Amino acid sequence: MNITSFVFIIFCAVSILVYWRLPQRFRIPWLFTVSMVFILTWSWNLAGILLVVATVNFFLGRWLGVAKDRRRILLWVGIGFNVLALVALKYSDFYVGALTKLLENMGVHTGAGGLLLLVPIGLSFIAVQMISYLVDIHNRILTPEARWLDFTLYVVYFPKMLSGPVERARIILPMFKQPKAPDAQAAERNFWLIVIGVVRKIVLADSLLAIIPAAIFVHPETFAGQDLVVYLLAYAFVIYNDFAGYTSIVRGVSGFFGIELTNNFKLPYFSRSISEFWERWHVSLSNWLRDYIFFPTSRALLKKIPKRDQIVNLVVPPIATMLVSGMWHGIGWNFLVWGGLHGFYLIIERVSTLWSPRRLLNELPKWRQVLSALGVFVLVVLAWIPFRMNLVTAWHYLSGMPSAFIWIKQLFWFIREKLAGTVAWNNWYGFSFLDSRVFILLIPALLLDWKQSRHKDETFFTKWPVWGKALFLAVLILVLVLISFADTGAPFIYVGF
Amino acid sequence: MTQIFAHKKSFWSFLILTVSFCVVIAVVLELLARTPWLEKISPYRSVDNFDYQFEIKWFRLQDYVKSHGGVDIIVLGSSLVNTGVDPDILAQTYYQQTGDHPRIFNFGVEGMTIAPNSLIARLLVERYHPALLIYVTEMRDYIAGLGLEYETPFLNDPWVQYQEGNFNPFGWAVDHSAALQHYLPFRNWARSDFSQTIAFYIKRFHDTSASGYEPDEGIGVNINILPNPNDPSEVQNFKDYGNYQIAASRLDNLKSILDFSKNQGTNVWVVEMPVHPTFYVYVGGEAVHQQFQQTISSFVTTNGGSFLPAEACLSTIPLNGRSNRWHLNYIGAPYFSSCLGDQLAIFVNQQHINPITTSAPR
Repeated sequence: MNITSFVFIIFCAVSILVYWRLPQRFRIPWLFTVSMVFILTWSWNLAGILLVVATVNFFLGRWLGVAKDRRRILLWVGIGFNVLALVALKYSDFYVGALTKLLENMGVHTGAGGLLLLVPIGLSFIAVQMISYLVDIHNRILTPEARWLDFTLYVVYFPKMLSGPVERARIILPMFKQPKAPDAQAAERNFWLIVIGVVRKIVLADSLLAIIPAAIFVHPETFAGQDLVVYLLAYAFVIYNDFAGYTSIVRGVSGFFGIELTNNFKLPYFSRSISEFWERWHVSLSNWLRDYIFFPTSRALLKKIPKRDQIVNLVVPPIATMLVSGMWHGIGWNFLVWGGLHGFYLIIERVSTLWSPRRLLNELPKWRQVLSALGVFVLVVLAWIPFRMNLVTAWHYLSGMPSAFIWIKQLFWFIREKLAGTVAWNNWYGFSFLDSRVFILLIPALLLDWKQSRHKDETFFTKWPVWGKALFLAVLILVLVLISFADTGAPFIYVGF
Repeated sequence: MTQIFAHKKSFWSFLILTVSFCVVIAVVLELLARTPWLEKISPYRSVDNFDYQFEIKWFRLQDYVKSHGGVDIIVLGSSLVNTGVDPDILAQTYYQQTGDHPRIFNFGVEGMTIAPNSLIARLLVERYHPALLIYVTEMRDYIAGLGLEYETPFLNDPWVQYQEGNFNPFGWAVDHSAALQHYLPFRNWARSDFSQTIAFYIKRFHDTSASGYEPDEGIGVNINILPNPNDPSEVQNFKDYGNYQIAASRLDNLKSILDFSKNQGTNVWVVEMPVHPTFYVYVGGEAVHQQFQQTISSFVTTNGGSFLPAEACLSTIPLNGRSNRWHLNYIGAPYFSSCLGDQLAIFVNQQHINPITTSAPR
């Protein structure tokens, strides 16, 4: 069941209406049931795997909660189990071929299709949540959940199952037990969160994705430099609006159940530093990485070398954190390079504070804030190149981009000649125009972000007069109807992680 | 939750206002789409069908009927008809023979075998009541399974389904909304290949004459040389057309076209397209072709129609008048159209039919 489908709307509406009609003691079983129904529409195997993962972690948590000694070993068993499940099921592409060959050589026949392993959707998100659950119990900041059903709901809760947000058990489990009925204001906010999500996903991300020629990520050497730049810019907004759109929709849906999910995106492309970017991009995962990789690594290193400005303390925690982030997105050199690049950016930022004391970003002059935001945006966009393609292709992509300067030179030549009157204004023979469709879509994308930033409220529509909101929704409905005729639908990118 | 229901009134007013805005915007767009101004700046229309050439023909025929007051003869078939029959030359030749000038439209559409064409024929006859339907056919029309890649999506299209009497909101909206029809040619504006596809569409739109003829500018090379089954480029053709059999289902389609003469008062003339004789090598030789002609001829006659074999016009087409073994080009089409005009005069004379529609104003 796709979350932008009509069936999903009906499914959610029925689930929510029944949910609030039920007494509290039946609400968790009901949420569990509808979540399982949702998962079953994706796959039976997925449902089975999630139940096994949830059950194992539930009992590990209980054991960890009562264990007096060997708690650390138990924790590592739990972490090992979740990492192993993730590697075995999600990253099977990397070893199934070799394993099949090995088994065949040993005389073990695996059948015509070889070892077909399952690739459960959302497992990366669930694995990190399970690890944080066990670590929190180990660190005694969370008591293990006593009810299997409640804990399993934490795993399978359908709004966050496919692509997060990565929620902490200590925050979400109490909400399951005592959901806060949305008042009129909250209901309206949830509704507009869904609307914004749909705008981001269907109107912006899907359209931009369809505009980008698929061949550009396979044979970038066949494209002109200016096209490589424009389509990279488009891709940056695709990946952002796609994931932010998804998160907005699921937050809206979850809000109707009285369960607030984390806001994963806080206008990340307006960040004025790389560390600020990671406070605004995929916030729930960034926080997880900060709490369970960065801080523990920093603490461990500081115990050995208790000086903050030591090179090891400056370099290792960010690079380790970002490499883990890269690996979480997928096993491949390109993801490691993407993570490594962000780690490198963070190191440069940290090292620069050695010579000049760090100032609060909001205290910087406006022009420096804008310049910093532009610089951060360029660095982040460049890092999307290895994120999207293998390293060889990424290199071709990157090395093709500087030829955009020739295009700029050509543009200036045309303008100069036209101003001098030697070339007619309607004569652009030999000049290659940029894909204007990208810019047509970037305008509303930036406008949406800018409005959200200016109002400091993602659902700024709620403050509009009723007729304004109704007009906006009417236009959106008509736009969606028109878009529905196009053959450009695309799945959510982050469902693949 | 009780608080939400307390605000029921504002919720309903918001909902009503949204629906009202939707209606107002849709009506404004609809009115705008029906102005001559929009027609002038964007004459392109679509019914969301995957076969845009069908759409070009569908709306071109609407315009033709609007400007001519009706249509007397519709020439129906595949791409062979599209590029092979110039209705203006056909009408002119017929006029020279008889003194009558019928209004003729070419409804040849690429990829359309007899299965979708039997449906298209029904839509055209029911809507425009032509006096004569010339169905131009050839051997490949009757191979079971051939052309399914066109047939299946065409027949499953919501608008086509709606025309078939199966109501669906998409089909209804597309059929009734001029605004949608004007928007739909640009529906894939966000696709990476849009600039190429829309340029190609616009070129073909403008290349197609007011009477539906689209000249083919290609000139076939080596088409008088017999195809070699061992030639890798010919293997697929031999595979597709070899072991030639006339499928019963395709004959049912032909019968449904022929039935118009009984049910709708539209005469039906089945004409075999004079493809290059080297084509028959694929299907097993001239003997197989002759057997096909006998079968179809007797089937057509039995069902109250008339059949014109390919030989009637074959010799009139020069070798450089073909773009390949099947299609005529801009040189060959006038020859065939002229010959067809002569044959039409003979046919009309023999059958004592009047190809001029009397009911529609001229």
